[in-house]
Amino acid sequence: MIQRVNPNLKKDLLKLGVKDWNECFHCGNCTAICQLTEEDSLNPRKVFRQAQLGLKTSLQANISPWMCYYCGECSDTCPRDANPGELMMSLRRYLTSIYDWTGLSRLFYTNKFMEFAAILGLATIVILLFAIWGPPLDPTLTSEGGVKINSFAPIKWIELGDWSMAVVVAALLISNILNMFYKVIIKPGVKIPLSVYATELWKLPAHFATQAKFRKCDTKGKYYWGAHWMMMTGYTIMFILIVVFLPEFQVEEIYDWWHWQRLLGYYSTFGLLFGLIYVIIGRIKQNNQIFKFSHLSDWLFVIMLFMTTVSGIMLHLFRINGMPYATYYTYIAHIAILIPMICIEVPFSKWSHLAYRPFAIYFASLKKAASEKQYKTGLAAEIA
Amino acid sequence: MEEIRIGVYICWCGTNIAKMVDVEDVARELSEMPDVVIAKDYKYMCSDPGQDLIIKDIKKHNLNRIVVSACSPRIHELTFRRTLENAGLNPYMFQMANIREQVSWVHDDRIKATKKAKALVAAAINRIKWHESLDKRTVSINPSTLVIGGGIAGITAALELADTGSQVFLVEKERKLGGNMAKIDLTFPYLNSAQQIINEKIDRIEHHPNIRIFRNTVIDEIFGYIGNFNSTIGQNGTEAELKFGNIIVATGLKSFDPSGIKNYGYGKLPDVITSLEFEQMLLNGKILTKEGKEPANVAIIHCVGSRNSDEHEYCSRTCCMSALKYANQLRSAIPEVNIYQAYADMRAFGKGCEELYCSTSRKDVMFLMFDQQKDLPVIMEAKADDSCKMVIEMNEKLSGERIEIPADLVILMVGLEAQDDAKELARSVGISMCGNSFFMEKHPKLDPVATTTSGVYVVGNCQAPKEIPDAISQAKAATARIMATIKQGEVEVEVITAEVNEDICCGCKTCIQVCPYTAITFDENNSVSVVNEAICKGCGTCGSACPTGAIRSRHFTDNQILSQIKGLMSKSLELNEL
Ligand SMILES: Cc1cc2nc3c(=O)[nH]c(=O)nc-3n(C[C@H](O)[C@H](O)[C@H](O)COP(=O)(O)OP(=O)(O)OC[C@H]3O[C@@H](n4cnc5c(N)ncnc54)[C@H](O)[C@@H]3O)c2cc1C
Ligand code: SF4
Ligand code: SF4
Ligand code: SF4
Ligand code: SF4
Ligand code: SF4
Repeated sequence: MIQRVNPNLKKDLLKLGVKDWNECFHCGNCTAICQLTEEDSLNPRKVFRQAQLGLKTSLQANISPWMCYYCGECSDTCPRDANPGELMMSLRRYLTSIYDWTGLSRLFYTNKFMEFAAILGLATIVILLFAIWGPPLDPTLTSEGGVKINSFAPIKWIELGDWSMAVVVAALLISNILNMFYKVIIKPGVKIPLSVYATELWKLPAHFATQAKFRKCDTKGKYYWGAHWMMMTGYTIMFILIVVFLPEFQVEEIYDWWHWQRLLGYYSTFGLLFGLIYVIIGRIKQNNQIFKFSHLSDWLFVIMLFMTTVSGIMLHLFRINGMPYATYYTYIAHIAILIPMICIEVPFSKWSHLAYRPFAIYFASLKKAASEKQYKTGLAAEIA
Repeated sequence: MEEIRIGVYICWCGTNIAKMVDVEDVARELSEMPDVVIAKDYKYMCSDPGQDLIIKDIKKHNLNRIVVSACSPRIHELTFRRTLENAGLNPYMFQMANIREQVSWVHDDRIKATKKAKALVAAAINRIKWHESLDKRTVSINPSTLVIGGGIAGITAALELADTGSQVFLVEKERKLGGNMAKIDLTFPYLNSAQQIINEKIDRIEHHPNIRIFRNTVIDEIFGYIGNFNSTIGQNGTEAELKFGNIIVATGLKSFDPSGIKNYGYGKLPDVITSLEFEQMLLNGKILTKEGKEPANVAIIHCVGSRNSDEHEYCSRTCCMSALKYANQLRSAIPEVNIYQAYADMRAFGKGCEELYCSTSRKDVMFLMFDQQKDLPVIMEAKADDSCKMVIEMNEKLSGERIEIPADLVILMVGLEAQDDAKELARSVGISMCGNSFFMEKHPKLDPVATTTSGVYVVGNCQAPKEIPDAISQAKAATARIMATIKQGEVEVEVITAEVNEDICCGCKTCIQVCPYTAITFDENNSVSVVNEAICKGCGTCGSACPTGAIRSRHFTDNQILSQIKGLMSKSLELNEL
């Protein structure tokens, strides 16, 4: 296939945070030094080239950016200070905006105003919903002295909201992943036998849960992988608690601290806080290559997650200490941050990597397994 | 005949020789050869203490012949000849055996290497017994100089010489002076105006009282030798008889004609132009396609006619930087234009050049790499509905992808190649050409401006492609050399020449046909050949061709050569037994 070079793609990428456009002179150091380099799936130099030449089709079919966990080794050692690691980061934004068929991702990444407007708009809707249809605030306490939270936010309504949010977000994410599948596998014409889809499937949950590649990449401080893993498990548990187990989670009883509900809640809160503080300090001190450049979307995500976590903690404390009004207002604030965060960050922005990374690994292993299989049958045919 | 007393000196060259040759053993064994009075080894023969050692031994042991076994005679033969002179011996009573380049650097078996070294030294010892004293000869120098070629190199040389008060004859083939530099707009890497520099010089040269310019003129034939050349120059129907002592050849190179490269469609696609044609556009101040429109996409293709076995294997050296120069000029003339550089390798050596590359690459220039050896880009007309006039298809090496470049104007960075008449010129001034048809310098490292013909210098592009500052440096270096000989009034000429024994010469003229330096003439009165010793280079060609053995090459007599071989064989027989 012949592709036309496109000097204008760069203008697009510049908006998404790409810097040092022309510095790379293709020494290949980055590809050599990257712990995760793998033929066909991660080759930072080649990605740099496709970006420089504006080879859109190749770039959009390339999963390298997702296979990079930004250890920063390549940027640290690049003789031209071309910052290949940061290019990968910016290209993750680019790919996110490409997979997203609604165009919102691109809009939010390139237009600060629209992103804020969307967040504030969603938050306002949540607040208005509570203000207009919310039940009256009940100042009385339960027999244990806790706040009557379920009278203020009835489980069935909140569940309804949770599930509809989950469905919308999942629908968006899944359609984007299908788009990604089309760009990575179908359009370039990669032939993959059906059986391979099944045999490689285990990699999806495995990588989601362990982030083993990240661990391999995190050469300088093993802590970042740990902090990230705790943050990831923290929000995953919390998400499941809120959506699937809401009746068990949003309760008026005050359980003993060793009750599973409280223990799980504490674990995910701790995980989130630990990870977030690690990242925030890093981004402020810029102590690691990975934190050197912070795009607005990087900060927004961290701050919103942090605010959600802190408001969640306060909510819990106010409730068990019998402070009804504080509990109710914090609840509204908590939801008013949570909803825009999930609705915007997961399908359209930084948080989408929770899906794209494991899928990229899955697609990479599909390609690899398919070509190995092809090679083996070719070999067998040759021998026969 | 006086008694032969030979001193033999084996050099260690630090560890260069000593690591592979047992120098002490060589000295010990050869000290036993007949007529060898003394044989020594020493760490650095060419050093002052090394030379002093020889001088002292000559005096103390009354030596009259010296053999130094060390590096190549190209490097130190003159050094040691001078040593002999300082000790009062004739410098030709010296012979060098090369046991570094020919032994220690190329072998890895110490025992065999030592044997080979002994054989080479034995050969030198055998030979030197037949050496005879030769006397220096000098000729007087005519202070005028002939400069052939009026490009920047020739003009610079002419002005330098004329400013010292010497007469200069400048011969230019074209009507216009200035060569290629007069045809270009700005110069890399600093983007100064070429016109300003060259016009000032042309103006000066045209009004210089000591310079006589011959335009639209080429030289047919030059006679004579260093200090005493002459030629008849025809100009406007009149003929001028010129006499001059030195010659500077500065005929430059011409641009390669790309019509023969099918892929590029030069001559068929109207908006494919050469770098020289683009310079003309820049000089006119308008960058336009044939339709008179400003191009939106300009592609620059490197190495056209260079670095390819189909055309020229060499790198033309100035085109990469010129291409970057164009990118800069395009960017400032048409700020929005898309610039593509299709290149094979970016060659940015030299002062200011890497910097030019870096600064240009930050000006939104897309660099695309292709394989110049086997996979040239192809320029095609674009489809009617395309936004551009042409597309260039190529396999881009660094991405590994097949790509196409949109283009409205394509600039071919044509290489530089020898002038059409270079061969005739080389013959008429008596210089040789290398495989690439560049004029050959005397030594690629040690003497890059002189030639093997004394009194003839090559400067500027005709010696090899180079940028303007290098052409100027070379021109100035040559003028310094010439001024030195003019000041001395006379120069030493080679004494290792051929001589004809008139009693034996049968007048067959074989030697006249074979002499590459036209040094032999025929004496009709006596029917014998005569060697002009001022021109003869002592190459020996005539000596080996002469059917009667009438020509004798001084310092390479039959006896000298044969006994050298004998000496070699005496030791190398032992080598075979190993
Ligand atoms: C398109 C282009 C752009 C360039 N840009 C730059 C630049 O930006 N910076 C830079 O440093 N260099 C540049 N160069 C290189 C530069 O032009 C040369 O280094 C320089 O011209 C060499 O000068 P020269 O006098 O040796 O040869 P030339 O300029 O070639 O001059 C040789 C002269 O000799 C004459 N001649 C030839 N044969 C005979 C004969 N038989 N008898 C009499 N006269 C003869 C010719 O007519 C000509 O006038 C460029 C070259 C080209 C082609
Ligand atoms: S990004 Fe840096 S290390 Fe990688 S190829 Fe380019 S110059 Fe080399
Ligand atoms: S940041 Fe690390 S993982 Fe990413 S490409 Fe560079 S070296 Fe590889
Ligand atoms: S004479 Fe030659 S071989 Fe000997 S030390 Fe000098 S350079 Fe080295
Ligand atoms: S200077 Fe550059 S363009 Fe010219 S021949 Fe050499 S490599 Fe090719
Ligand atoms: S030795 Fe060489 S240069 Fe001299 S006359 Fe004979 S052939 Fe000519």
